[in-house]
Amino acid sequence: MRLVIDRSKCRKTGQCAYLHPELFRTDTDGSPIVRVEHPGEELRAAAEEAVELCPSGAIALEE
Amino acid sequence: MIREITPTTTPEQLRAELAAFLADPYPTYRQMRDQTPLEYVFLPPGIAPGIDEPMRAWALMKFSDVYNALRDHETFSSARNPLVAKGIFPPLVLILDDPPRHTRFRRLVNKAFTLRRVEALQPWIARVAHQLLDEIGSGEVDIVRSYTIPLPIRVIAHLLGIPEEDRDTFKRWSDTFISSLVSIPLEQRMKNTQEMVEYFGRMAAARRAHGADDLITALVEADIEGESLQDWEILGFCILLLIAGNETTTNLIGNMLNILVDRPELWQQLREDRSLVEPVIEETLRYESPVQQLSRVTTREVVLSGVTIPEGAMVSVFFGAANRDPQEFPDPDEFRLDRDLRNHVAFGMGIHYCLGAPLARAEAQITLNAFLDRFPRLTRGTAPAVRQTTSPIVYGFQQLPLVLHPREQRYAFSH
Ligand code: HEM
Ligand code: SF4
Repeated sequence: MRLVIDRSKCRKTGQCAYLHPELFRTDTDGSPIVRVEHPGEELRAAAEEAVELCPSGAIALEE
Repeated sequence: MIREITPTTTPEQLRAELAAFLADPYPTYRQMRDQTPLEYVFLPPGIAPGIDEPMRAWALMKFSDVYNALRDHETFSSARNPLVAKGIFPPLVLILDDPPRHTRFRRLVNKAFTLRRVEALQPWIARVAHQLLDEIGSGEVDIVRSYTIPLPIRVIAHLLGIPEEDRDTFKRWSDTFISSLVSIPLEQRMKNTQEMVEYFGRMAAARRAHGADDLITALVEADIEGESLQDWEILGFCILLLIAGNETTTNLIGNMLNILVDRPELWQQLREDRSLVEPVIEETLRYESPVQQLSRVTTREVVLSGVTIPEGAMVSVFFGAANRDPQEFPDPDEFRLDRDLRNHVAFGMGIHYCLGAPLARAEAQITLNAFLDRFPRLTRGTAPAVRQTTSPIVYGFQQLPLVLHPREQRYAFSH
């Protein structure tokens, strides 16, 4: 499982790092950074929720 | 509007100045932006009980200041709004809240407004859009009254599970709520809020008794870590959707059609190449932002663009000015589709980033496609287009007459 952000879609809203700090953090310029690139099963539900909540459809979970 | 208020300023003068600013705030932004952050008179004394002194606020108009303030919710609080403390604004959930309560609530309601949920709703929205256009037909029409107002209201009413016949009342509540204190007195606003609270209270009670497939039922039944939502939270959220989801979308669609009616070549291009629909919507959001300004209060002393703003100060975040900042958007006063359109702040940024952004974008997209399908040409009507000038928050039209030119009918008459 791999958590990725499509930079061409991301609008730097900060929603992902706000609601899922266990998976993302924010860079000094406001960009999101994936904290856990390969989340384990215990983080699957959180990662799926993050994919859903991104208002720009920029987050994907690749199996 | 952004100036000192002298003891000789009459209420009539003030009203006229405010109306001129609200009808076209862009010259003021151009003139003021370099001097911001700058303190100005936000509300004049005597405008409501409890406001005996001029209420001041710091205006932010530079893109960088606006973005930084929106991303720093610990310093720029949404909950400490003095208008709430004075009873002028009801304590809205979410938008006038800070973490941790904001976080808990946002997690819960996000689920109802995700891109995926909105995609599922699109065929329904398209049906409503086409129904409204069927009723209009063609020829001259005030598009605000007959399309841009009813569409978002029907969508929100549908989501909440509100009966259609209550739609006009909805519109009145929403208008009164976002109007400025200069135009609608406090007493009338309080009565308005009271009516909304009673109405949604009845709705929530009805859903508790008999659940339905709608958002109010979802809120009534919500379980957040073993806790359910309190009544005032449910009512607060219904009221929030009513005011945050209607006028804003009405204005986005109106502003967009107003821009396109003067660009017949772009209209033709759009008809042939629908990949331009999205950039047109995003550039409209930047160029004529439906939400122009909202407030924050500082929780500590903070420096923006070298200017020190003290703790406990009210701050006006001008989304509309930031979106025309030449530092961020070259030739900001030109409507252009070749920009990086991900950067505008028309939906805010940070923790309060608009919950309804995917929904608003879908309504605009469905609308533009439906208009392009039906009307080869769009021209101005004979009656004048009139900007709304009662609310300092939103930017859009009160009246926008358009002539919708139908496709040529080709009947084969045989003699
Ligand atoms: C073009 C249409 C719209 C525009 C321009 C717009 C703009 C905004 C802006 C600028 C904010 C940020 C407020 C802040 O930072 O204090 C916001 C928040 C919000 N909007 Fe929208 N909005 C639109 C449509 C909608 C719709 C259709 C809904 C209904 C679902 C909605 C619901 C909300 C809510 C609930 C919030 C508060 C979110 C929070 O505090 O976490 N908006 N909107
Ligand atoms: S939620 Fe989406 S758009 Fe916002 S910062 Fe994260 S990836 Fe970017």
